[in-house]
Amino acid sequence: MSRLHRALAAVETTLLVVLFATMLGVAVFQIAARNLFGGGLVWGQSLVQVAMLWVTMVGACVAAGETRHIRIDIVARLGGPRLRNVAARVASSFAAALCTALGWYAIEFVYWDFVDDLPGVGSVPAWVCESIIPVAAFVMALRFLIQAIWPLTESRR
Amino acid sequence: MIWAGIALLILLALLGAPLFVVVLGAAMLGFLAEGVGLGVIAVDINALAQKPLLVALPFFAFAGYVMSAANTSQRLMALTRALFGWMPAGLAVVGFVVCALFTALTGASGVTIVALGGLLLPMLLSSGYSEKFGLGLVTSSGSLGLLVVPSVPLILYGIVAQQMNVGEPFSIQQLFVAGLAPTLLMVLLLSFYAVWRHGDVPRTKFEIGALKQALKAARWELPLPVVVLGGVFSGYFAISEAAAVTVVYVLIAEMALYREIRLRDLPGIVRQSMVMVASILLILGVALAFTSYLVDVEVPQRLFEFLKEHIKDQLTFLILLNLLLLALGAILDVFSAIVVMVPLLLPVAVGYGIHPLHFGVIFLANLEIGYFTPPIGINLFISSYRFERPILDLYAACLPFMLVMLVALMLITYVPWFSLWFL
Repeated sequence: MSRLHRALAAVETTLLVVLFATMLGVAVFQIAARNLFGGGLVWGQSLVQVAMLWVTMVGACVAAGETRHIRIDIVARLGGPRLRNVAARVASSFAAALCTALGWYAIEFVYWDFVDDLPGVGSVPAWVCESIIPVAAFVMALRFLIQAIWPLTESRR
Repeated sequence: MIWAGIALLILLALLGAPLFVVVLGAAMLGFLAEGVGLGVIAVDINALAQKPLLVALPFFAFAGYVMSAANTSQRLMALTRALFGWMPAGLAVVGFVVCALFTALTGASGVTIVALGGLLLPMLLSSGYSEKFGLGLVTSSGSLGLLVVPSVPLILYGIVAQQMNVGEPFSIQQLFVAGLAPTLLMVLLLSFYAVWRHGDVPRTKFEIGALKQALKAARWELPLPVVVLGGVFSGYFAISEAAAVTVVYVLIAEMALYREIRLRDLPGIVRQSMVMVASILLILGVALAFTSYLVDVEVPQRLFEFLKEHIKDQLTFLILLNLLLLALGAILDVFSAIVVMVPLLLPVAVGYGIHPLHFGVIFLANLEIGYFTPPIGINLFISSYRFERPILDLYAACLPFMLVMLVALMLITYVPWFSLWFL
């Protein structure tokens, strides 16, 4: 693994750990607070849920980099190496194109909520909470594009 | 035009495009045809953050991963062996029970084959079971836990089905109860088969000493079912809160009491488990968009009306449903099958007078079998890889188990009582 690759993996893992710890910490605090002093943070539950959305999008970026997204791999299981190589290139190009489109339309969605100034979690506006969707879509698009050009071989998996 | 698009999407799926991309493509195609702006899709992905129950999935999945990284499987095995090992074909029964429980905890039957199979197969062979029987057992039992609390596929079905809002309303707790009797039936029938086939293996005596030892070893994990079930059924916690409490309990047990998981192991476990959860939730997000398109253009309703012309009675529909789901279960993994197929099929099933709880049990039971259906059930490949046996050996080994499970499936499908007795 190259140094860049290791650094990226460390950043991803750190993000996932921080987000998961936030989810768990706030969820447990809410339960404790409700039972000890009969109340909790007003925005606690929505913070947990937004953290889960972020875990999902960051985790999806990791899955794109490690080809761990759920797929039907009949061709990979039954086909030969050449067919596998072509299939991987075609499938990754398609994935890159659709993720780019998703990112584009997600920006539009985030922009609407920015213009409407919708409330999100506590004093954080909704568009900030949602901004992870286009960011993750573009990161995934980039990773699929790289895989379309240089398909991951068995040994690199 | 739209059919060409659908054909292209199916081709790309078979070539190995990630399923979330395929479903995303289907949703985009649908909304474009309807003239709806594609920003809607991002709205539906963002809706993941508006469902409190969903938070239970990452929590339960993480707790399961922590336990598979610790020696929980060994302790569970020792305890079940001390409890059931004295029965005829006792070790086989132990195998079924342990595999079901372990899959319920981790939510992934492939994990069960890798974690428990390696332990179970040598034990079975040295106790006098044939290799064919042993391979069949470890490959097919991995999926037994799909219907057991708090399995992730079961919760996911509940979320998707409640979202559809058709038929009798039900709670997630009722869904948990509905899965119990069908799972017991499967374990029972498989155990009969094991006794018939291998009742002659030398039996071990019941030893109170061994049981005490196993209980002592598992003492910190024994309260776990109480934490999970108590949390889920007492009504004192929401299900997502029960899941959070489960994580805290498991962390204390494995890190402080057993000291098998160190602090520096946690980032790797978080990464592994959250990537799995993310790949499920992202498919769910785009599937929510796809579902809202399907409902907009009344696809389930039209499908039902079309079917009603040709299929008059519930029984014929159920038989066809089983055939369709068995085929799907062999191709699709359980999570994508749930988020993509339940929105299409549940309204149709309700139209034929099937209760959503019963439908969920039928759906998951079919997928359990699909996991090891030749030629492409995923568990066959995992076993072939894990135990270094040719795939054809596994086809032969799994066939008798598949037949037994099919008998159980028929009973579950045509006798709704197994899923609905408590209503």
